[in-house]
Amino acid sequence: MIVGQRKPFDEIKSYVDGCEKILVLGCGTCVAVCMAGGEKEVQILASQLRIAFQEEGKNVQVDEETILRQCDREYFDTLKDRVDKYDVVISMACGAGVQLAAELFPHRVVVPALNTTFIGIAEKEGVWSEKCRACSNCLLAETGGICPITICPKGLVNGPCGGTNHGKCEVDKNKDCAWTLIYRRLEGQGRLDKIREIHPPKNYKVQTTPATIWHAAYREEEA
Amino acid sequence: MRAKRWVRYTKELLKEIGIEPERLEMFNMSSSMATAFAEAVEEMTRRAKELGPSPLKRKKEAA
Repeated sequence: MIVGQRKPFDEIKSYVDGCEKILVLGCGTCVAVCMAGGEKEVQILASQLRIAFQEEGKNVQVDEETILRQCDREYFDTLKDRVDKYDVVISMACGAGVQLAAELFPHRVVVPALNTTFIGIAEKEGVWSEKCRACSNCLLAETGGICPITICPKGLVNGPCGGTNHGKCEVDKNKDCAWTLIYRRLEGQGRLDKIREIHPPKNYKVQTTPATIWHAAYREEEA
Repeated sequence: MRAKRWVRYTKELLKEIGIEPERLEMFNMSSSMATAFAEAVEEMTRRAKELGPSPLKRKKEAA
């Protein structure tokens, strides 16, 4: 999932100072799971804003709404008629969701409440770690299901490098060496021959920015 | 100790908006610990008196 973190309150408030009607818009998918931008977090931010404005003696209307996904157009349908009455929409989605909200409501200011950080997994309650850099050229079949592009700070496709130290990384001794992890995983699977294979330099040409993909079933429409 | 974590986080949220985090506290005790309960109540009463009315109430009264 996409993992995000809420921005500091003062930064969010600075985006909406001077506004009289604010909509705090949550996203019920990835950022809800990572406790950054779901319904509960919308309630927390909206409450904080109401209290902060009340302390300043300002009469500001702060409304709350959470849709299932801010990265799909159809989920915005219920909001279309309502958004015009707000001065600003605070989107608690990832960067993709904020941009779709801004695209759908071009006459309204849409501001982000989160910093989108990475694609990752839940390690335990309240802890997430990065697992994928969305490089468009997945190597996991060769590396025992451990991504060296993400886990190795150098992103080496052949490893380990000379900086590996008892399973830790020279860049950060608290972090595991990705290629030691890969070695041990392949060893456990009886596939150590894989570690001897030399991978060519990564093809970054496939990583276009901004990328667009078409599902095979829809390619005729592209033509 | 999930509640303890969330109480700590809520204190941070209060601090962010200018409300003294000392207004919120969590005390661990069982239902038979009357003395501990009384001490907790006394502590929170002391804090409330020391801090005075909440910033929100002060603002309302001033208006």
